[in-house]
Amino acid sequence: MKFRAVMIDAGPMREFTNIVSTISRLSKECILRLSPDKIYLIVSEDNSGPAPPMLWCEMPQSTFFLEYQIVGVDDEHKDIYLGIVSANLSKSLVTLKTAKCLKMKLTKKQCPCLTLEIEMPSSTSQQSRQVTHDIPVVVIPRKMWSEFHEPRVPHPDISIELPALKQLRTTIDRMKCMSPEVVIRASAEGRLTLQIKTDLAKVSTRFKDLRVEAFEGPIDHSDSETETQTMEDVSRTCYCRVDAKKFSMFLSADQISHNRTICSIVHKKLVILCLQTEENVKLQCFITGIVY
Amino acid sequence: MKCHIPGPNVKVLGRTIHALARFGDELYLESSPDAILLRTLNAAESAYAMIKFNKVFFSYFNYNFYSTDDKEGLKCKISMKSALNAFKSPTHMDKQVENLEIKLDPESCKLIFIVKCKHGIVKTHFVSILDCKAMQAVYSKDLVHSRITCSQKIFTEALGNFQSSDDQVTIEANSNSFIIRNYIDCNIDLTKVIRTQINIKPTEFDSYVIGTETIITFTLKEFKALLGFAEALSLPLQLQFEITGKPVVFIVHNGTTFEAHFVLATSKPDTNTQASSTQNSSAVKRKRKEVHIKSNSPIKKKLHLDVDLSKYLDEDSHLFNYIDIPIEKDLNNIDELVHNKTTGSQSILHDNMECDNIIPASPTSKIKIKAIFKRCFESTFDPRSIQGLVLAENSDSE
Repeated sequence: MKFRAVMIDAGPMREFTNIVSTISRLSKECILRLSPDKIYLIVSEDNSGPAPPMLWCEMPQSTFFLEYQIVGVDDEHKDIYLGIVSANLSKSLVTLKTAKCLKMKLTKKQCPCLTLEIEMPSSTSQQSRQVTHDIPVVVIPRKMWSEFHEPRVPHPDISIELPALKQLRTTIDRMKCMSPEVVIRASAEGRLTLQIKTDLAKVSTRFKDLRVEAFEGPIDHSDSETETQTMEDVSRTCYCRVDAKKFSMFLSADQISHNRTICSIVHKKLVILCLQTEENVKLQCFITGIVY
Repeated sequence: MKCHIPGPNVKVLGRTIHALARFGDELYLESSPDAILLRTLNAAESAYAMIKFNKVFFSYFNYNFYSTDDKEGLKCKISMKSALNAFKSPTHMDKQVENLEIKLDPESCKLIFIVKCKHGIVKTHFVSILDCKAMQAVYSKDLVHSRITCSQKIFTEALGNFQSSDDQVTIEANSNSFIIRNYIDCNIDLTKVIRTQINIKPTEFDSYVIGTETIITFTLKEFKALLGFAEALSLPLQLQFEITGKPVVFIVHNGTTFEAHFVLATSKPDTNTQASSTQNSSAVKRKRKEVHIKSNSPIKKKLHLDVDLSKYLDEDSHLFNYIDIPIEKDLNNIDELVHNKTTGSQSILHDNMECDNIIPASPTSKIKIKAIFKRCFESTFDPRSIQGLVLAENSDSE
């Protein structure tokens, strides 16, 4: 097993730092999967059972790295899966925003380590200084790889573009304080509604004129308890009740400069949030619906 | 003693007090005919700071204001918290304060700070004096072979790379390279910590002279505090150090007005522990716990200072010279004895912490502990080593 990669451009370095720091805020530990053409950051549910990943981030290596060499265990297993404490990685990368060059290596220094060699410019002279971080990692054995495959999801009923994440986040953070669950409702007409219900109040925020990417209607509401809303064709809306905390966690990804964010809903079952950047980074978050 | 400090200098004094507050909980003030000295020592006695303000720092200075016969100057110890109260928000102090007056009357039990602010506001702080002793560390300065002068920025930037959980740093200096590392304790699980190393080219420093190449380890908390002090006053920093076990001295000075010395104890990183087995490290942990109960104080390295007075040479646990105001030699000796006794239990730590041969052998209690666990460290079990009764005999070879 060998891995070595070099990054020298400021843009990708900043992007990489942002992605890693976002993920470190979402989860304590993550899986770094290195493959010949992409690198993945995978987060599973905290109560680690055989649950599908919650967060799936893939980055094409060619846009980030100048040099990229990887040798797997054998020809059939070209990937390397590493368990890493995400905070360790993000804290070590904090200085990357001003760095000249980053070298990543897989090393064995008393324990398996991901070694980051960062070349920093000196503020006082023309010299540069070398900073080395050895981050301990756990090499995930092959038999456990299957736990970290991209989850297979049912075809979403609707995919709708989300409004600006910052705006959405402030809304959710307010709602989160009042109720642990939020209902996300999307209609084929481009309306997105976030709704909470408490004993005292029902709060909903509506976003209009959003672009609908795909709609697989009509939705069957025969077994649902939803009160029929006037003015709206029920068969053209679908909803899902999710954990507000998880939703808000994903929205903290707004510091990654992104092109667009798509929210896909499998009616009453699953919400898939997908953030895409210019560099073809895809950050996907899977939040399962809460059903009573 | 009575002195006046002009507005801009009050800010400097405020910064000083704030920096010292990050070292110790008590502040020692001593006046001499031409200067005022502020000193502090941290609880673990591994860090000491001394800041000397010369006469020119003050707009008015009279050390013998109350005209006593005492030629020694006045000494007092106050709590750091009360000193901090008089210097809240040092950043704005120069804009609000016009003048600060400090009064110390040998007859009184209060140290008085009179802060004259703008618009005729006068704040008077009466600070209780806890003690009339002075404290002084003995360390060598200017005689050492390794010296580095640089802007504090280099270190501040370097420390930015470390994790907030790191509490000690190791400096490895030789004439061609200068490496700062986070110190990994021998009982920490290596798979949990990040090891960080920063390689700084010696040419980055303003001056760089290394007499003997050395590896020194000292605490990060105090280091950060003194860097903050140098940063606030935008003054360069000078490091003076010798070899492992001898203290490292940081000097910040502004030509003639003031001079600050920060002395940090150093210890040698125990390199062999990195290869040690988990069994070993857990034993060390247990051992340390025992020591912890015994000493009943926050465990840190003991300051191991180079003492130039010959009488201190063989008692390395004695670091500080407590001087009583009326100097009575007998009393002083008793004081020393008591001090030695109290530090005796702490010196058990020496071998444990520093794994270093320079430190003389500790009391026997530690060896006893070692003997209990000794067999665990032997690679194979040797039945011959057990002497005495055989309680259960070997069964027949048949």
